[in-house]
Amino acid sequence: MSYLQTNTLSHARKVRTLYKQSIRTLQSHYECFDRYEFRYQAVLMRARFDEHKDEKDLRKAKKLLLDGQRELFLKSHPQPIKFTEAPGGVAYQRTSPPPDWLLDVWHPLEKAQYPEYFAQREIRKKEYIERWEKDFGKPDSEISH
Amino acid sequence: MATLARTGRSLNSVAGFVLRTTVPRLSAIALLHKTQDRRICNSALKICTLNISKPFTFSQLRWYAGKAPLTLETVQKRVELVLKLYDKINPEKLSLDSHFMNDLGLDSLDQVEIIMAIEDEFGFEIPDADSERLMRPRDIVQYIADKEDVFE
Repeated sequence: MSYLQTNTLSHARKVRTLYKQSIRTLQSHYECFDRYEFRYQAVLMRARFDEHKDEKDLRKAKKLLLDGQRELFLKSHPQPIKFTEAPGGVAYQRTSPPPDWLLDVWHPLEKAQYPEYFAQREIRKKEYIERWEKDFGKPDSEISH
Repeated sequence: MATLARTGRSLNSVAGFVLRTTVPRLSAIALLHKTQDRRICNSALKICTLNISKPFTFSQLRWYAGKAPLTLETVQKRVELVLKLYDKINPEKLSLDSHFMNDLGLDSLDQVEIIMAIEDEFGFEIPDADSERLMRPRDIVQYIADKEDVFE
């Protein structure tokens, strides 16, 4: 259920996503009434996927995938179950973690209250810079900020 | 339809709520009766039919929608329990480093089912891009520890 697509997806990956979404949709439809009914429907859905497990013809496989996605869209739930912190959930982005650089602008007297942590933090910063320069090379001094 | 769905969903939480609230209340009633009449207290305990050795040491814990604190050990135990309860995995063959497909003989859709069970267990969503890499129980434990900020 990735919500931000930044690369092309393989056919197998699309099928896996379709399977997961269809099971979650079945869960939204059935689980609130009857857990056993949901499990029964899930097993039937799994059987439908397994039926075409060894499909070699790419054109047929593509058609099956598109049909499946269309069916998923037509049978989608009006109020699907979402995890609280997931996109669409009730607590999505309710709290945001403070950015890491905020600790660098602490007053030295404040920093002195946690000497061990800030000593370790300086070491970690150096390690991070080393790792960055190892991956991307030294930054150009003229365009660096 | 939607309201039905909501009532159905709330049923689960209602059952948990009843269990959480009535048990301490019953013990409190039993405590009251104990001060008044020992016989009534005994009968109340019998009615409860709860075989608790120390019925009066209940304290109600509230997490306020938070989760119980996790450690690496508890994460590992819960992941192992989820995997052992999955009917396609032989619990005797399962170890922390066994590969789902190579060692346990599962296919990719089984792996999706496992990831969904792990999601339900720990209550947060695992995106597909990440779930592709989670092929061993140790990977799953490490992923959950990273996401939930568990370091020890």
